[in-house]
Amino acid sequence: MIKGINWIKENLLSSKIDIFLTIVGAYFIYFIFSLFFNFVFTSDWTLIEVNRKILLVGLFPEEDLWRIWSVFYVFSVLLTSTISLVYGLQIRTSIFYVFILLIPFLIFTTINMIFHILILIIISLLSYIFVYYLKRTSYRDILSRILVISWIIFIPFLFLVLVLVDGPKVTLWGGFFVNLILAVIAILAGFPLGVIFALGRASSYKTIKLVSVVFIETFRGAPLIAWLFFAWFVLPNFLPDLFSLNDINLVIRAMIVLSLFSSAYIAEVVRGGLQSIPKGQKEAATALGLNTFLELFFITMPQAIRIVIPAIVSTFIAIFKDTSLVFILGITDLLRIGRLIPEQQQEFYGKSIEVLLIVAMLFWVVSIILSQISRSIEKRLNVSQ
Amino acid sequence: MFSNLFQQLKTQETTKKKLEVLFYDRTFRKLLIQLVFSILMIVFLFYLIARAFSLELGFSHLGSRAGFGISHAFLIDYSSNDSRWQAYFVGIINTIRVSFIGILLATTLGVLMGLARLSKNFLISKISAGYVEFIRNTPLLIQIIFWQLVLLQLPQISDALTFGGISVWSNRGILLPFINSVENGSLWFLILLISLIVTLFVRSYLNKFREENVNFFSPNLISLGFFLLITIISYFILGIDLYSDIPSLEVNEYGTYIQSGGFLLSPEFAAILFALVLYTGTFITEIVRGSIQSLPKGQTEAAQALGLSSYQRITLIILPQALRSIIPPLTNQYLNLTKNSSLSVAIAYPDVFMVSRTIMNNAGHALPMLFLILITFLGLSLFISMFMNFLNRRVTRIGA
Repeated sequence: MIKGINWIKENLLSSKIDIFLTIVGAYFIYFIFSLFFNFVFTSDWTLIEVNRKILLVGLFPEEDLWRIWSVFYVFSVLLTSTISLVYGLQIRTSIFYVFILLIPFLIFTTINMIFHILILIIISLLSYIFVYYLKRTSYRDILSRILVISWIIFIPFLFLVLVLVDGPKVTLWGGFFVNLILAVIAILAGFPLGVIFALGRASSYKTIKLVSVVFIETFRGAPLIAWLFFAWFVLPNFLPDLFSLNDINLVIRAMIVLSLFSSAYIAEVVRGGLQSIPKGQKEAATALGLNTFLELFFITMPQAIRIVIPAIVSTFIAIFKDTSLVFILGITDLLRIGRLIPEQQQEFYGKSIEVLLIVAMLFWVVSIILSQISRSIEKRLNVSQ
Repeated sequence: MFSNLFQQLKTQETTKKKLEVLFYDRTFRKLLIQLVFSILMIVFLFYLIARAFSLELGFSHLGSRAGFGISHAFLIDYSSNDSRWQAYFVGIINTIRVSFIGILLATTLGVLMGLARLSKNFLISKISAGYVEFIRNTPLLIQIIFWQLVLLQLPQISDALTFGGISVWSNRGILLPFINSVENGSLWFLILLISLIVTLFVRSYLNKFREENVNFFSPNLISLGFFLLITIISYFILGIDLYSDIPSLEVNEYGTYIQSGGFLLSPEFAAILFALVLYTGTFITEIVRGSIQSLPKGQTEAAQALGLSSYQRITLIILPQALRSIIPPLTNQYLNLTKNSSLSVAIAYPDVFMVSRTIMNNAGHALPMLFLILITFLGLSLFISMFMNFLNRRVTRIGA
C-alpha cells in the first residue's frame, strides 16, 4: 500500500509541473477514451457480422476458400519454424501476440473459421516446438537448408494453389487477403532482388554499381503511388508479348511494382548491414583462400542479413501498410471494400467511419505484432553482440 | 595498363594457355565482365526504348489549355483557361505548401512527444507511447480518409461553430484568424521566407569570418539588421498594409451563408495535413527518443549537478547533442512526408500528383507525366537533403 503511494508520489506528483502534467494528461486520456467508447457503444456493428467474408477475402468463391487456408497454413509453419530456428521468442511477448490476436478473432470468427484457426495455432505451435528441439541437434544444418528451399519455392507453390488447377480468377481476389498476399510477395520477391542490388551497389565494378544506384534511387525517388500508376498505365507496354504477359491482371502488375519498390528499400537496408560487418571478416575469408563468391555467401552475407532482419521486418510493415494504396488503382483490397460497403449496401448507408475503424484495426493488429517481433529480435541481437 | 599482360601472353605458346592467362588476369577479367554486363544493359535499354515508342511521348500536350478547375490555387493565379503547365505548377506549389507546413508541425509534435516519452511522469510517457503505437501501425491512407470523414462530420455552415466570433468551423472547412495584407501579402511572406534563409547563410558565413578575426562585430546583430532591412524595404515597396483578418459568417438576403476572411483550412487540406503530421510525428518521436536515450547518462546528471532547471537541461545540454544523431534520420522522414503528400489524390487535394493524374486522364501521355513526377520529387528531395545537410554540418561543427 505504502509502496503504491510512494510510486504515485514519484511518478505522478513529484513537483508542481508534474502535478499539472498529470492532471492535463488524465483529462486528455479521459477525453480520448470517452470519445472512443462513446462511438463504439453507440454505433451499430451489425455490418461487420454481415460482411465478414467480404472484408476478409472479397468475392473469393466459398468452395475455393481451402486454397487460401492451405497457403496460410504453409506460410505460418514456415514463419514460426524460421523464427524458432533463428531467434526464438520470449514467453512474455508470445502472450502479448495471443492477446492482440484475440481482438480480430472475437470480431471476425464464425464456427467455420474457429476450426481453421485452431488447426493453424496447433500446427504453428508444433512446428515451433519441433524446430526448437531439433536445432540443438546435428540436424540443424539440414533443417536450415530445407527452410531456405521452402521459402524459395513458396511463391510458385502459392500461385499453384491459388490460381492453377482450376482456381478462381485473379479478378475475384479481394479483401484483406489481397493486402496480405501483395505484402508477402513483395517482400519475398524483393528480398533476393534487394540483396543483389545491395551487392551491386557495393561492387567494385563501376558499370554494375552505376546500374544499381540508378535503379535504387529511381525507385526511392518517386512516391509508391506514382509507381502503382506506372503499373496501371505503362507497365503492360514494357512486358514482352509472350504468353499474353502484357494482358495480365492489375493485381499481378501491382505485385511486380511492389516487389521492385520493396527491393530498392531492402537494398539500402542490406547495404547498411554489409557495411557494419568488420573488415577483418572479409580479410580472414580471403586469407583462408575463399574466393569472392564463397566469401560473400558463407561469411559476409549470413552475418549481414542476421543483423538487418529487424530492419527488414520494418520494411515489411511499411510495405504491408502501403498495400492499402492499391485502393486508388481500384483493386478491391480491404480498404476499397471498406469504402464500398457503406456506399452500396443501403442498410449501412453513412457508416463509413465504423468500417474504416475496422479496416484500420485489421492493419494495426498485423503491424503491431510484426513490430513487436522485430523489437524482440533486436533485443536478442543487442544481447548477443 | 596491359603491357604486362601482353608480355605474358607472348611467352605462352598454345592458345589454351594464352586463354588461361587471360582468364586469370584480374584487370582483364574485370573489364570483360563489365563489357558483357554493359552490352546486356544496353540491349535491355534499347528494348525499353523501342517499347516506349509505341506510347505517347513528349510534353507538347502540357502547352495546351488545361480545361479543368483547381480548388486550391496559392501564389499563382489559375483558371481553367490556363495551360497545363500552369496547372502543374499550381500542383507543385500545393505539394510544397502542405509539405512545408507539415514538416514544421510534425517536427514540433515529434520533438514534444519524444521528450514526453522520456518524461518521469508515468501518464505523459504512456500517452506518448500509445500515440506512437496506434498511429504508426495503421496505414497513412486510412488516416487521411479518416480525417476527411471526421471533418465532414462537422456541423453544416448554418450552425457552424464560431468560438465567440474568432473562427468558423463547419464542414466547408476551418477558418482561422490570420494577419493579412490588402495586397501582395503572399509575395511579401515569400520574400520574408527567402530572406530568412539567406540571413541564416549570411550569419553562418559571418560566424566563420569571426572565428578568424577575433573581436569582430556581432554576427547575430548584423544578420538581424539585414533581415529587418529587407523586411522594411519590401514592406514599403510592395505597399503592404497589414490588418488582422478575422473570419466572419454572414447570411445574405437570399438566405445563403457566406464565410469570408481568415486562413481557410479546407477539409481536404486539413485532412491531409493532420494525417501527415500525426503519422510522420510518430516516426520523429521515435527518432528523438532514440537519440536522447543514446546520450550518456552522465550528461543529464552533470546538468542536474550544475543546478540547471529541467528546461535549461533540455534546451542547452540534451537537445544540442542529440541533434547530431537526430538530423540524418530526420531528413529521411522529411523526404517521406513530401512523398507521402501525394496520397492526397485519394481525397482530391490538388497536389502535383493529383493534377498530373487529371492531365493523364484528359490527355494521356502517362509515361512523360510519370517521368515529370519523378523529376519533380527528385528535385524536392534534393532540395530538402541539401538544406538538411547544411543544417547537419552546422550542428556537427559546434563544439566539435
